[in-house]
Amino acid sequence: MQSRPERPARPATSSRLRRGRLALVLPLTLLLSACASYAPQDTLRPKGPFARAIDNLWDGVFAIAVVVFFFVQLGTLFIIIRFRRRHGDDELPSQTHGNPRLEIAWTLLPAVILAVVAFFTLRTLFDIKEVDEDDLTIRVVGQQWWWEYQYDTNGDGTFGEGDVVTANDLVIPAGVDVHLEVTSNDVIHSFWIPSLNGKMDAVPGRVHPLMINADEPGTYVGQCTEFCGLSHAYMRQRVIALPMDEFEAWLEAQQEDAEMPDPDEDPEAFAGAELFTTQCSGCHLARGINDEEFEAQGNGEELLVARNAPDLTHFASRGTFAGATFDLWVDADGDEIVEADEIGGELNRAELEAWLRNPPEQKPMAADHVPEGGDDRVRGMPNFNLQEDQIDQLVAFLATLD
Amino acid sequence: MAIVESPTTPLELSPGAARVRRPLGGFTRPTATTGWKSWLFTVDHKKIGIMYGAASLFFFLIGGIEAVLIRLQLAAPGQKLYSADLYNQLFTMHGVTMIFLVIMPMGAAFMNYLIPLQIGARDVAFPRLNAFSFWCFLAGGIMLNTSWFLGGGPDGGWFAYAPNTGVTFSPGHGMDFYAVGLQIVGLASLVAAVNLITTVLNMRAPGMTMMKVPVFTWMSLVTQMLLLFSLPVISVALFLLTFDRLWDANFFNVAAGADPLLWEHLFWIFGHPEVYIIILPAFGIASEIIPVFSRKPIFGYPFMVFSGIAIAFMGFGVWAHHMFASGMGPLSMAAFSLSTMFIAVPTGVKILNWMATMWGGKLRFTTPMLFAIGLVTMFTIGGLSGVTHSIAPSDTQQTDTYYIVAHFHYVIFGGAFLGFLGAFYFWWPKAFGYMLDEKLGKWHFWLTLIGFNLTFGPMHILGLQGMPRRMHTYVEGYGFEFWNLVSTIGVFIIAVAMLVFAWNILRSWRAHRANPVDVGPDPWDGRSLEWSVPSPTPAHNFDEIPTVSHLDEFWHRKYQEDEAGKVVRVATGEEVAQKGDGTGVHLPSPSYWPLVLAVGLLLIGYGVIFNLGLAAAGAVVLVLAGFGWGYEPADDPEAHHGPEANGDEPAADGDGAEREPVGVTAGAPESDEKASSDE
Repeated sequence: MQSRPERPARPATSSRLRRGRLALVLPLTLLLSACASYAPQDTLRPKGPFARAIDNLWDGVFAIAVVVFFFVQLGTLFIIIRFRRRHGDDELPSQTHGNPRLEIAWTLLPAVILAVVAFFTLRTLFDIKEVDEDDLTIRVVGQQWWWEYQYDTNGDGTFGEGDVVTANDLVIPAGVDVHLEVTSNDVIHSFWIPSLNGKMDAVPGRVHPLMINADEPGTYVGQCTEFCGLSHAYMRQRVIALPMDEFEAWLEAQQEDAEMPDPDEDPEAFAGAELFTTQCSGCHLARGINDEEFEAQGNGEELLVARNAPDLTHFASRGTFAGATFDLWVDADGDEIVEADEIGGELNRAELEAWLRNPPEQKPMAADHVPEGGDDRVRGMPNFNLQEDQIDQLVAFLATLD
Repeated sequence: MAIVESPTTPLELSPGAARVRRPLGGFTRPTATTGWKSWLFTVDHKKIGIMYGAASLFFFLIGGIEAVLIRLQLAAPGQKLYSADLYNQLFTMHGVTMIFLVIMPMGAAFMNYLIPLQIGARDVAFPRLNAFSFWCFLAGGIMLNTSWFLGGGPDGGWFAYAPNTGVTFSPGHGMDFYAVGLQIVGLASLVAAVNLITTVLNMRAPGMTMMKVPVFTWMSLVTQMLLLFSLPVISVALFLLTFDRLWDANFFNVAAGADPLLWEHLFWIFGHPEVYIIILPAFGIASEIIPVFSRKPIFGYPFMVFSGIAIAFMGFGVWAHHMFASGMGPLSMAAFSLSTMFIAVPTGVKILNWMATMWGGKLRFTTPMLFAIGLVTMFTIGGLSGVTHSIAPSDTQQTDTYYIVAHFHYVIFGGAFLGFLGAFYFWWPKAFGYMLDEKLGKWHFWLTLIGFNLTFGPMHILGLQGMPRRMHTYVEGYGFEFWNLVSTIGVFIIAVAMLVFAWNILRSWRAHRANPVDVGPDPWDGRSLEWSVPSPTPAHNFDEIPTVSHLDEFWHRKYQEDEAGKVVRVATGEEVAQKGDGTGVHLPSPSYWPLVLAVGLLLIGYGVIFNLGLAAAGAVVLVLAGFGWGYEPADDPEAHHGPEANGDEPAADGDGAEREPVGVTAGAPESDEKASSDE
């Protein structure tokens, strides 16, 4: 430090206070500016009645919290200024030991405020947790690291066998309550679409109800929120809400089998279908293409810890692949989310090819070898060391599965 | 010691025989009073407290480096500085280290050092057990951290939800280290809890009724009660996990019919009281610092004490608010929502009482005071976000997002850690005989406060914007970029602040060595009994055990009402403080066995993971140490009585019945001391 002429010292408290004020105001400023940027997973922008009920509750509690925040911070600031010790003041301040009446008051006051909050909390809680079994029910199954959705299309009251089974994009009708039955095939996951409702854990061996409802047709994003291992960050999910008639048409179309590509019209896709049948039947089913091979190899239950891989029958009708980690189609309007009307547009060929070339490199998975079954199972999709022409064939085939 | 062994046994023929008798166990007892041996084999609560403090700062360095690495990865979207696997290990070990190896032992450091001093005792109830607690904790900490070199750290999160922690999903040894290492650390805390509870309940100086116990000791007592009742739960859970992983016990195997929510409940039945275990000692610290620098007694002492007790009781009934998304029915959610909401009431009382303590005072803004005010203001933010979690529907949006990360860092860092930093500055002169530099201390405080808010403030926003926790990376386009960058900048400011702290310690020590200045027994105009003994505290603590007639006993010896009823200073701290003359004081003797026992446990720990033969060897060491310990008298009859007492033990050896247990001694107050305080 260089020597300087002596300056009269500034009263220490003033500079301290200025810095103190900055430190107090900063976090609040940050908090208030939270709504400024584009955030599709924002919990404070509800797009359906359940999320809105929660948001309304939050608004009230937040307002109370802000008042208490300012009371304590500004109160402390005031005390710091008002009651700082002046230089040379050696007098003892008045020795107050307490004031029971005051203390009882500030014990009761928060209790009363909280009782009011509690009333609204409980009312909202029982509202959003009320399950109507007559609503459209969809089974939501988590596994490392993707979500499966089962619609009871054959009406037998169970899910899976003979039903429409999809992945990544949960398609629902807009404007009506939808009842999800959330469960898991391996570890605990959590299903969460912030703009539609709070989250619900998917616990293996248990089925948990979650109600969602989207006001408007649209695409709503979310992701797994219970730590589930290597690719927790890449386990995403989306809800596509369609107008009721479109939803019904979609569900109808999903019940169709896939068609074998014509070897003359599209030889590359046909070769891809053949390759798919020989290489992929241990885990993946494309109804109408490899039903027999899939069943012969154990219905996809032999090679994976979760005993389940995505049903690819209508792969190309979805907006994403690999646990909604990647967009399957190029985002046409540039808003970062591939919406329902962009599905079937321009294929995101680069990422799909990269995925087939070496899946564990694209997304961390516990699949460092091609498993043999029995005790040798993996979690996720291993690298099959496909040749470039095989990858092209598979891509051509997958694109036909709309 | 609660149990005092007679130095003569019925088999002895004459008092003289005691001179050649050696304790069963085969060794001569350690006798060093200086050098490394005096630390390794010490049973002195002050040395043990200092070792707890040093170890917790060392582990803070490790946990801090892990934090910086985490923030580096998250500074920008899509970064791949390290693999998802390594990232998962980093955040798991960051959490485990900061909770179990930093904040808890830091609390233990101050409790060990201060409780006997504040209650007027010469040591804790069971000095050797106290040494064992420390070595056992250190063994667990070493075990957990060596996992990095033995196949990788635990990767299931500090909360370790089953079945993700099963061998199928976490095949390495990491989670074994978690299960066994934490078991050992937990044992250390459980033993310490028994020890400190006994100390506070049985060894208070004459006249110190429970309502004259300093608030820090009160909050420590409450904390130890929480530990005593919550640790067995996590111990059981960790045993289940250990058996599951090592011997296929299937407690958490869903395929065998298990319900993984069993782990969640067991973990949080421990895990939520744990939050109060972390924060209550810091509340106690703030309640010591704020009155001293306001020159006023704590406002509403009974409310402070009972609100602490209320928090502890209610703390056992709120655990499931960690599980509002776990599929509980709405009625259960409602119950835990209500209990969580109302635990805010006693907590709020504390905040307001601290403000009322400062109100009307003459505030001195020393470094400890700044940190204490930092605790009051920053913990308030953590408390308020905590109330928002109690709103169960709202919590289903916030849980497992960065909003939670922000919340608990405002509680643990903004609350507990700021309190502990203030405590370091406050009690440093008492422990080491010199002050930490005030100017550097203020730099330390402001940098910490700014860095802390920059790091964790933005996480509120990130969480509300929907950023989940425990992601090794995040993608562009979700609005997470800016605040993550700010947060990473903040963590470097915290790192600089901690370097200032380290520099302060080093510089103040050097300055003291070059030019020793006597800080006296009472550098801050303190209130409780620890300021009535010389700095640094002599080995025997008190020359005479004081007789207590007031809360803030030491302050009342310095300040009295004059004829007009006005409170004025009647004596300086030096005048009424003790002189540090330990003649005739008999202290508990050092022992090898606590350390040996902890080493045995460590061998068993590694053994159950890698080689059962090693575990058997560890068990042999453990049993031998237990025997040695058992046959060794708590205090060696041959030990000297006090530093200058070489050979002039009063009446001692022939008649053991006269030897009184350390600390329980009801020493009559010196008449002249009493006179000076009464004037």
